[in-house]
Amino acid sequence: MGETQVVAGCSHSVEADRIPAVIRVSALRKEYGKQSAIAGISLEVQKGEIYGLIGPDGAGKSSLMKIVAGVLTFDAGEIEVFGVSLNSDSNAERIKDRIGFMPQGLGLNLYPDLSIEENIDFFANLRLVQSSQLTARKQKLLEMTHLEAFRARPMKQLSGGMKQKLGLICSLIHEPKLLVLDEPTTGVDPVSRRDFWAILGVLLKEHGTTALVSTAYMDEATRFHRVALLFGGQVVAQGAPEEIQQLVPARIVAITIPSPAVALSRLRAEFPQIEALGSLLQVFVEDKAGLDARARVVRVLGDVKPARVETMDPQLEDVFIALLRIKKLTTEPDRTSTLPAAPVSNPTQPKTPYAIEAKELVRDFGGFKAVNKVSFRVAPGEIFGLLGANGAGKTTVIKMLTGILPPTAGSGSVAGADMQTAGRKIKERIGYMSQAFSLYLDLTVEENIKLYAGIYGLPASVARERFRWVVQMAGLEGRESKAAQSLPMGLRQRLALGCALVHRPQILFLDEPTSGVDPVGRRRFWEILFTLAREEGVAILVTTHYMNEAEHCDHLALMFAGRVVADASPSDMKSEVERQSGKLVEIDAVHTSAALDLLVKAGFKGSVLFGSRIHVFSKDVPGDTERIKAALSEDPARSILPRSLTMEDVFVERVMALEQAVETTKNGAVS
Amino acid sequence: MNQAQLAAGSRVIIWLRRLRVMTQKEILQLSRDKVLLFLVLYAFSADIYNAGSGVTLQLKRAATAVHDLDHSFASRELMGRFQPPHFSIIGEVANEAAGLQLLDRGTAMAVIAFPPQFQRDLLRGRTVTVQMQVDATNSVLGFLASSYASEIVGEYSLEAGMKRAGLSPGAQLQAPVVLNDYRVWFNPNQRDDWFMSISELLNVITAFAILLPAAALVREKERGTIEQLLVSPLTAFQVLFPKIISMTAVILAATAISVFGILQPLFEVPLRGSLMLFFAVTMLYVFCIAGLGLFIGTVTRNLSQASMLAILTLAPMMFLSGVWTPPEAMPALVRYAMYISPLHYYVDASYAILLKGAGINVIGHSLVGIVLLGGLLFGLGLWRFRSQFA
Repeated sequence: MGETQVVAGCSHSVEADRIPAVIRVSALRKEYGKQSAIAGISLEVQKGEIYGLIGPDGAGKSSLMKIVAGVLTFDAGEIEVFGVSLNSDSNAERIKDRIGFMPQGLGLNLYPDLSIEENIDFFANLRLVQSSQLTARKQKLLEMTHLEAFRARPMKQLSGGMKQKLGLICSLIHEPKLLVLDEPTTGVDPVSRRDFWAILGVLLKEHGTTALVSTAYMDEATRFHRVALLFGGQVVAQGAPEEIQQLVPARIVAITIPSPAVALSRLRAEFPQIEALGSLLQVFVEDKAGLDARARVVRVLGDVKPARVETMDPQLEDVFIALLRIKKLTTEPDRTSTLPAAPVSNPTQPKTPYAIEAKELVRDFGGFKAVNKVSFRVAPGEIFGLLGANGAGKTTVIKMLTGILPPTAGSGSVAGADMQTAGRKIKERIGYMSQAFSLYLDLTVEENIKLYAGIYGLPASVARERFRWVVQMAGLEGRESKAAQSLPMGLRQRLALGCALVHRPQILFLDEPTSGVDPVGRRRFWEILFTLAREEGVAILVTTHYMNEAEHCDHLALMFAGRVVADASPSDMKSEVERQSGKLVEIDAVHTSAALDLLVKAGFKGSVLFGSRIHVFSKDVPGDTERIKAALSEDPARSILPRSLTMEDVFVERVMALEQAVETTKNGAVS
Repeated sequence: MNQAQLAAGSRVIIWLRRLRVMTQKEILQLSRDKVLLFLVLYAFSADIYNAGSGVTLQLKRAATAVHDLDHSFASRELMGRFQPPHFSIIGEVANEAAGLQLLDRGTAMAVIAFPPQFQRDLLRGRTVTVQMQVDATNSVLGFLASSYASEIVGEYSLEAGMKRAGLSPGAQLQAPVVLNDYRVWFNPNQRDDWFMSISELLNVITAFAILLPAAALVREKERGTIEQLLVSPLTAFQVLFPKIISMTAVILAATAISVFGILQPLFEVPLRGSLMLFFAVTMLYVFCIAGLGLFIGTVTRNLSQASMLAILTLAPMMFLSGVWTPPEAMPALVRYAMYISPLHYYVDASYAILLKGAGINVIGHSLVGIVLLGGLLFGLGLWRFRSQFA
């Protein structure tokens, strides 16, 4: 815990020390029976701050937020909100009218059968907002969130992103001084997510509201002024995102090697943290005085010559994993090997040039075209990512390809079987894993695996052999007779993967397979996927909302309104966006909102707030840098630097452009 | 054997293997659900015991108050005949209002009033009237009280008449009299506990035969595991039928506990017919009614909706089963509705086997009813499941 305290200290600015903290938590503990949810957390949130709680499922985020909102009691320690100690129910009541709380789950606090407006009115009446104020506030919030047009629509018919925006309005309608948002962006696509953060940023700035927000997405850390990384009910690190980044000074050395087995074993001996993504190895190299990271990796590799070597800055996620490793905090059992050798009893499946081939697939639901002429191909051994906002048609495509839903028109083949006619054959040859993991939680590990072995008709001897393979692959040794619900999420996820692989399919469908899993588990999962694809030639089709996972795919198809609007490798997609919109320039301004206004006035229309930074697309980086400097001459920015695009930038950029195009054609049709 | 035969043989083996693992899975899941297991055990033991021992349709120790304005030998004698088991005298009231008050409060169920000069008028050979006021809130008990009372009074009146004619009670009657010589078959002591415990057992079987499969299906929907089953090579039949097999096995086991642990030792139900036949009919019935449970499982989204719908289905089924009212006593329209309640046939068959010792020749038409309705219900459930998920 010693290190944590040091971190907490260094983030206080001189200004912040004068104002009393909005939230002050010290040595807080909370237990559910024998299970410890919060094991001694201390942190402070200052006025006007957006404070992030980041960590995987079970880290203690939700418990902490509920305690802050005064809806959950705690066992030991102290907590003050607005200077009021929450040691009694009556004290907790005193602060509740100044707090807005949005619990976890898409629209869980809203009433599905009420319309947007009725939901808002209900929460306003509950909070005794005067009707004169209500009308004005409601109008403004609805306009900002672009929900104005849907006032009368029942909440249950809204998309995930819209539900979260409505939830935000409902928790803001009484203009609270502190906003507590529990995973508001989980399960929401990147565009809606970015939109949500932008709205939140503006609203909070306007009223000087403080916000405590949790997220499972590591890459959202840059949205916060300060963050606390939580794991197992403890604070692993806290401070501004940049400060945390510097806790473990390191470089990432990415090397590309066609057959990485030897290289991997040599590197693992020296560097404990390596992400192996097929032929790409990302080595986390901690700084050592006077030694160049790249040179060290090349030296360890010895006579193995990589095809390409690159160095880059580590992401916050890399640092988080490093911190967990250093502090020996992990739910993962020690890694044995990447993947056990495939059992000999591999069923031979017909060899086809393409594992999946979709030609002009169409699916109508009544008059609504959910999927409109979708075509793509997935080769054996390829990891194919299907991206898109909620409701873009990804799930419908998967349902058609897995033989659950017959297409209205078009044709296709999966594993050499015709989609239109051979649904049963397809089902026998594919593996499928859903977001819910679809395990029987009341059954044990062994019973789950044997159930699926039986469902796929494997004889007992083969089933036993596969059972051992799955246990080894998932790292479940010694837990064979544990109930699935007692496993941590990462193990559950790999057990579900094992059940989907029990019949050794040559095609694997994964529908948002990594939600709720901690970064360590998520990485191990992807390493398994890569081994399956590269060494056993399994074709993998995956959908995800984690854009850094999309980065791992060999090929991506971006869906929008039922159509595939882009179909390329991640790097091609990035260069395509750079060609169209320009390079990304990141501005670290001293007074962010004032700078944003100045930039928009200076003609940088696409400027967006990204946490405490401003992002601008530029086709002429040197020229625009000068122009930005000129626009901000009165209050110069700390830095103006070009930044490489992430998949999220690409996704948001493309989808926003498409949405605008739809708007324009709509408006054109009206006028 | 040639290639085609081999292939067909292995297909059958795989088909059976799938059915087996799915059935095992259902039973394992049920065995892990401690709350549900407790409910099943409770319903098939304690609940049936309560129904058999507690619920009675007979008039027992009806609280009776007396308003005696005569206070004579005769009035006391008649009053003395209101005895347990049917009646029990709780005391005397001084005036009419006090008697009414007891009735209003429910302290007394009946008030008997003797007029003044009851004995004198009786001895003089005049007609005298005894008044009885009965609380008929529960119409069955009210009816029973008044008819028992009129029997007692009628007997007393006959004796009084004979006495006046100079005949002793034991003397040969000269007047023509019809004696009603009746025989009580199947339940000679007219024990309610036989009837009630069997009827409750049949109701509990029905309730669980609907609820268990509905819950099993809805649970898969709630957890999202149904999705996984749908992308596997299982057919709709292979997903649904194992639920029925396993739930039927569980219910049959529970029924055995109930029959051999409660009905036979505690209530001495005679179990006259073939128990094999009873369990066979029960198995057939549960199989069929489980189809209804699956149908409910397909039209609902979560467990609370499913149990609500199950309760709403159960109520009319029990009402129309004929346990409480025979079909002949029902209005014409409802009588026809009874023919579509599978419980109606099952009740007929079960009483016939357990109490009357009937064989398959007697209950044949009931079996046909169960099979036809059950097949229809299972088909309906299968069709709904297919159309919902395919």
